[in-house]
Amino acid sequence: LSAHRHDPHRVLAVVAERRLSLELPTLDLGFVIALHVRAQRAQLAAFDEQQLADIFAEVCTALEPGAEHLKKRATYAIARLREQRMLARVDGHGLVRTGEYALTRLATGIVEFFLEEDVLTRESLTLLTATLRTTLAEVVAAAEGAGTVVETWQRAVVGPLRVTVSELVAGIERRQRGLDLQQEEFQAEIRRLLEADWFGAIERCQGLLESTSATLRELNEILLRETSMLLALVHDLEELALGSGVPDAEDAVQRVIEQLDRIAAWGASRQRAWSEYFQYVHRYLRDVVRLDPSRALVQRLRDQLTGTAGKPFALTIAGAVPIRLLRTVAPPRDQLPVVRPKAPREKEPAADDGVDPQEVLDGQVQRALDGGRRTLAAVTGAVNDEVAEGERYVMAGRVAQTAARLARARADRERPWVAVDDQLVIEDWRLATTGQGGRR
Amino acid sequence: MTRGFAMLQDVIMDPDFPATDLALRHGRHIDRDDAARYALLLDGQEHLEAFYRRYGCELIYKADGYFYLLPTSDALPRRHLGVGDMLVGQALALLYLDPASVERGGLVTKEQVIEQLVTVLGGDALIRLFLPKRRRIDERLAQKMVRAKVDEAIRRLAALGFAEAIELPAGAAPRAAGGARADDGRLRLRPALLRFAEPVRGLSAPAEALAKLVADGEIALVDDAPADGEGEGDEAGEGGGDGDGDGDDEPELET
Repeated sequence: LSAHRHDPHRVLAVVAERRLSLELPTLDLGFVIALHVRAQRAQLAAFDEQQLADIFAEVCTALEPGAEHLKKRATYAIARLREQRMLARVDGHGLVRTGEYALTRLATGIVEFFLEEDVLTRESLTLLTATLRTTLAEVVAAAEGAGTVVETWQRAVVGPLRVTVSELVAGIERRQRGLDLQQEEFQAEIRRLLEADWFGAIERCQGLLESTSATLRELNEILLRETSMLLALVHDLEELALGSGVPDAEDAVQRVIEQLDRIAAWGASRQRAWSEYFQYVHRYLRDVVRLDPSRALVQRLRDQLTGTAGKPFALTIAGAVPIRLLRTVAPPRDQLPVVRPKAPREKEPAADDGVDPQEVLDGQVQRALDGGRRTLAAVTGAVNDEVAEGERYVMAGRVAQTAARLARARADRERPWVAVDDQLVIEDWRLATTGQGGRR
Repeated sequence: MTRGFAMLQDVIMDPDFPATDLALRHGRHIDRDDAARYALLLDGQEHLEAFYRRYGCELIYKADGYFYLLPTSDALPRRHLGVGDMLVGQALALLYLDPASVERGGLVTKEQVIEQLVTVLGGDALIRLFLPKRRRIDERLAQKMVRAKVDEAIRRLAALGFAEAIELPAGAAPRAAGGARADDGRLRLRPALLRFAEPVRGLSAPAEALAKLVADGEIALVDDAPADGEGEGDEAGEGGGDGDGDGDDEPELET
């Protein structure tokens, strides 16, 4: 877990993978606390099995009087605590002899939460920040003399930053959390005082509020002043670490900076939150408690709500219709009809490099005449052989016109009808080439 | 810091005036938590009292630390809270007076509001009050509908400045004296809730106090009308909510 301590996703993944859990009923918690107290009082580093059983029996007598099978229950309780890593066997002899057990850091942490009132006070904060300042100054001095020697940086800078400085800062943070808890207890205390004594509780409530406010204000002032000095030292250290090129040193300095920022932010945020609460409770004491010393208002309001105190009523309130604000909108643009780009209906004439059909026809007719065909029917037949069937009628007219132009046409008064093919019959002419003295 | 408003014009020219004026006209109660508006009203109180009197209404300042506008003529429309809003408002006022709310800095959950109503009125009576038209109704459905109506009433009352839905930035953990997420259904109770307790706050008998408040135009007596039997479609202004479309919307009476 410690390898991934800065990555919450990975930490959670490890917690899920190992299925970590804690289950600590009152009896087990009492057992752990009793062990801690006994260890402190008798200066014990570890307990043998008989001592554990005796202490468990005492706890049972206090918490569950009349419980039976104490030895068996002690065995199970010890097993539960070992499974949850709150009790560790420290002798290492295994089966050879009965074991010796000590509370783990986890168990000690839990016990300290319940037993020790580590609350931030003016004295503890001043002492801790002064020690922190001295330690940091020593670390800065060591860093200045360390040059770029990695071993010296590790021993004289990184080590103290990670252990001494971090522990001191963690001590302040732990006490801050203690003070948070104390504030919550004060809030609950104010409630209890009001419920118990109502009007008579005003003075004590105000006393609690003002003492907490004064404490927070004082602590915030110390934090602001001290953290700025501490941060100045750490920034010097950061510059030295950057110059040394030792990555561990940069990381360690960065962590201390983050811790100090967090400590400073705590003071401001708690003072603000408490200030809001302070104002709220003061208003409550002034507007509710002082104006209703006999605390009759709640009952009268209940009677009013149930309808036993009088007729139902409704509060009158102003109910102006919301002003209709005309929106400033851009005038809509005229919608243009959907059109295609305009194009000229008639295409402009363009030069065509294609073959002139009349020229082709002239060639065909001329070849037929040159081939010795001397009648229109023969020429038409020759040309029509090269034309599709459906175009032969039209082509016959064009052949006649072309033949008349290229040759001299002669016809009798009565022109004979001559079949060109199976489907076409024309009035025939005789044709003579122009060289034969024909008319054009 | 107190601003010296020598003339009404100075008050009106204040950048906070338009929003404050609109809020008051829509029935909102303005207390210290609306810091800028409250300060404006406090500093310009003398000028504004005369100003609103010309509109036929009184700018009321209560010693509990809040302002509101009370129409005394027909020049400015007025309305009365519906029965459901009155029930929820009185429950909120009871919570406001409860030392348990003091421990939490005036924060309550919607569940606590419903619990308060059930404790004082009883579950069956609560359903009858909110759903009088429903003669035979599945209990589970009825409870769901009542919860929805309480939610609507809370939303309308919050719009009128009687409470405030708490919102915290994403990722911020709720604290006992701090706040909670809006989706937790938490509310911060505000001093204007004491208006619901006005008839029983004084030393005089409730009937006498009621008569005086009626005479002052602060309240209107209503028949034992059910929460959803007062017509429909008359919601107006900021306090109007959007109903659930089942014809049981909580109306506010307009006069």
